[in-house]
Amino acid sequence: MTVLQEPVQAAIWQALNHYAYRDAVFLAERLYAEVHSEEALFLLATCYYRSGKAYKAYRLLKGHSCTTPQCKYLLAKCCVDLSKLAEGEQILSGGVLNKQKSHDDIVTEFGDSACFTLSLLGHVYCKTDRLAKGSECYQKSLSLNPFLWSPFESLCEIGEKPDPDQTFKLTSLQNFSSCLPNTCTTLVSNHNISHRQPDSVLMETPQDTIELNRLNLESSNSKYPSLNTDSSMSYIDSAVISPDAVPLGSGSAILSKQAQNKPKTGRSLLGGPAALSPLTPSFGILPLETPSPGDGSYLQNYTNSSSVIDVPSTGAPSKKAVTRISQAGTKSVFSQSGNSREVTPILVAQTQSSGPQTSTTPQVLSPTIAAPPNALPRRSSRLFTSDSSTTKENSKKLKMKFPPKIPNRKTKSKTNKGGITQPNINDTLEITKLDSSIISEGKISTVAPQIQAFTLQKAAAEGLMSLLRDMGKGYLALCSYNCKEAINILSHLPSHHYNTGWVLCQIGRAYFELAEYMQAERIFSEVRRIENYRVEGMEIYSTTLWHLQKDVALSVLSKDLTDMDKNSPEAWCAAGNCFSLQREHDIAIKFFQRAIQVDPNYAYAYTLLGHEFVLTEELDKALACFRNAIRVNPRHYNAWYGLGMIYYKQEKFSLAEMHFQKALDINPQSSVLLCHIGVVQHALKKSEKALDTLNKAINIDPKNPLCKFHRASVLFANEKYKSALQELEELKQIVPKESLVYFLIGKVYKKLGQTHLALMNFSWAMDLDPKGANNQIKEAIDKRYLPDDEEPITQEEQINECYPYESVGTDESQESSMTDADDTQLHAVESDEF
Amino acid sequence: MSTNLFACFLLEMTTPNKTPPGADPKQLERTGTVREIGSQAVWSLSSCKPGFGVDQLRDDNLETYWQSDGSQPHLVNIQFRRKTTVKTLCIYADYKSDESYTPSKISVRVGNNFHNLQEIRQLELVEPSGWIHVPLTDPHKKPIRTFMIQIAVLANHQNGRDTHMRQIKVYTPVEESSIGKFPRCTTIDFMMYRSIR
Repeated sequence: MTVLQEPVQAAIWQALNHYAYRDAVFLAERLYAEVHSEEALFLLATCYYRSGKAYKAYRLLKGHSCTTPQCKYLLAKCCVDLSKLAEGEQILSGGVLNKQKSHDDIVTEFGDSACFTLSLLGHVYCKTDRLAKGSECYQKSLSLNPFLWSPFESLCEIGEKPDPDQTFKLTSLQNFSSCLPNTCTTLVSNHNISHRQPDSVLMETPQDTIELNRLNLESSNSKYPSLNTDSSMSYIDSAVISPDAVPLGSGSAILSKQAQNKPKTGRSLLGGPAALSPLTPSFGILPLETPSPGDGSYLQNYTNSSSVIDVPSTGAPSKKAVTRISQAGTKSVFSQSGNSREVTPILVAQTQSSGPQTSTTPQVLSPTIAAPPNALPRRSSRLFTSDSSTTKENSKKLKMKFPPKIPNRKTKSKTNKGGITQPNINDTLEITKLDSSIISEGKISTVAPQIQAFTLQKAAAEGLMSLLRDMGKGYLALCSYNCKEAINILSHLPSHHYNTGWVLCQIGRAYFELAEYMQAERIFSEVRRIENYRVEGMEIYSTTLWHLQKDVALSVLSKDLTDMDKNSPEAWCAAGNCFSLQREHDIAIKFFQRAIQVDPNYAYAYTLLGHEFVLTEELDKALACFRNAIRVNPRHYNAWYGLGMIYYKQEKFSLAEMHFQKALDINPQSSVLLCHIGVVQHALKKSEKALDTLNKAINIDPKNPLCKFHRASVLFANEKYKSALQELEELKQIVPKESLVYFLIGKVYKKLGQTHLALMNFSWAMDLDPKGANNQIKEAIDKRYLPDDEEPITQEEQINECYPYESVGTDESQESSMTDADDTQLHAVESDEF
Repeated sequence: MSTNLFACFLLEMTTPNKTPPGADPKQLERTGTVREIGSQAVWSLSSCKPGFGVDQLRDDNLETYWQSDGSQPHLVNIQFRRKTTVKTLCIYADYKSDESYTPSKISVRVGNNFHNLQEIRQLELVEPSGWIHVPLTDPHKKPIRTFMIQIAVLANHQNGRDTHMRQIKVYTPVEESSIGKFPRCTTIDFMMYRSIR
């Protein structure tokens, strides 16, 4: 039976790999009906999940007891997707009844996939407001697998400050050093075949060098007396190469693995149909051809290393080429290490990106049905290591005696796409460097050849790590709102990484938080140009355009986004912003509500909805919205700001100050927030404090005109007219066309008794006003609309009063003031007529 | 219709100063200084012909209209849930299509409820064709705050009995969303820093 089911499984995986989910589901259903094993159950659930039907997978798995970790993980994943967090947590860490599993228990239970499990668990904890536990989980997950980014991101978002230098380094990963040699050995085992294969493509890409090194490695490996049992190999290698590395598990575990492997190879010999299409997972073919390495460890390599290190290798290059390259490498200068750092990440990233499509290939390699339960780590490994696929394919290709055309092409295209032409030298350089360093340790000078291959891979991984470190630093800075630092760090990324949607979006967001909307718009429009399919971050872009009042660009953006993805909250936020700018608040509210419907965990949509309700003066609803936003994400400072704003409107100034302060604690660099706090403090009659706050704000962002304006108005209110005037004169330099500035200057002059200058400034204020807002200033001049409600008489009356005094002056001034006064009155009359 | 037929004969002789049409209220909304709040109110009518009621009065469509079906004065009552600042009332009337159904004398009253309404404005319309803006201000020229507005059609053109009203809109002044009691700023450079969003 088990033998028979292998071709079916292969067919299912093939269908999955070709996104033919209906076929995969159908076949998996048939298979499950036939055998009813947990393996088949898992396969069926996977098919459901991959076809986007998490609820199906959930109910299926729920209806059957799941014992294997991979089933448990999938079930938990479904639970989280369906926001059944408690259930998900119970599955992962044991419920209230059972003893809660410690992280170590989880690691032992889930083996290599523990990093993903912990990350998921961390997500659950954070969603249920247990941030401390959540961050523990994330950190553990990262320490297990530093290639994971999302736990790091989540850590930053919940306000933790993980150290990127500590997080993204290989030594922090205990398995890693041990898994690296494993990959080498596997490749070695493949290599025998690759030699035989005449058709293999000769390319002088860096991959070749790698392959070459692998060849070297292989030859040296053959020296080992253990006859290529991987487990022993890995054990030795790990011990040799990284003295600090803990050997993989206990010896017994290794032994058991070996034991499991043996029967498997036999079975796959029977079951592996060699005629399967080349794209299918190698499906037991591999052990057929190379019986020596047990596939368990083979798989494990991939899991541990997440195979990011295995660069897809195309064909076996001739040794000549290799040596030449390596020679060149040694000659080149070490000082170029910065360069090499830039290059290596490509390799890695490339492999990573190619991963997901073929992620499941390893599945078929190990017919695990008969395997004893402690084979878990291996199995789970094939599930979760998506990146191994490419190498898998290659290896499989190599194993099979006929050169399969499709995979060949595929791999080739992949490598070409990466655009890696220069790195050969750098890579080798890196290797040699590493080599020498290792040798200098005096431990393993004899094993240099293998180590060269190993170090090559390690260099690639190291390169990725350094990239992740830089990005991590940038992201961390952004999440703690050190926006300038974030921009600085991210701008120094290598240009091919800089010019990607993710990086540019983060930079755009940093500019956005700095209120440098022009810059932000520039960056985001670049993002739109290079990745017009990008949705994440576009809500920030839309708000940027809202601030800049670019209605055309905003409506183009919102149309495009809503056409592209109606299920993303970002698109609806953009649409809402678009209508908000058109002042069609009711429609905007509908769209923001839709954004919330689409994703109830999207904090920004609540905030935007809240702002919209504030504009329509439905303050109760707005309060609820902002509170919801904070519930979803307590570090969403915009919502705290919104609350403060509402309290300010309700003249509950101390509450307003408190909420603004909360927002400021999250984003201490925001001059706009500081400015608001200053105004509130002034309203609370703490003028000295207000001035301090405003000074701080001006220090942070000297370009923020509103801070200066408010400082001037506070000075004005405190009757420090001279300094207010000076402030306003400076302000005039920054925003020469803002009528409000002239308006305030006019008021100061009026206080100083210089009515002529006052009237002149008032008339300028009105001249600068485009017709829309005109009324308000007219009203302000017309009526008692002054910031300090201390003037009982309307301004118009005052102007009239002042007029007689003015007439004493020179004829010129009299004339001008007359016209001004007339003007004012005229406008006032107009405004009355409406 | 028949009641208004007689009035039609007098059509030619009325050509004094026509009431000039005001601006489209949509333009006002775009400026951001006012906001329509009719949707927050409860609307009622003294009478209406079936199918020509509040829905037609509020549907943003100038082709449809409310037609009264009773004795004068014809009343439109707008009641708010809370005391609301009202700045302007916009009424659309079209003499060209409605002829003797076009109101000629309108009274606007405000108050807390039906029993303490006070007239604040009465206006005469002469062959209006377009939007009529009725500013609702107190003697100090400040927008009024009220629970209820009543619009009464006291007379129609040519002594027509029933009346047509095509649209009514109620506007409230928009408060500046920034803090500080300053009027609206005018440049984007300034406005950008006004708020966080």
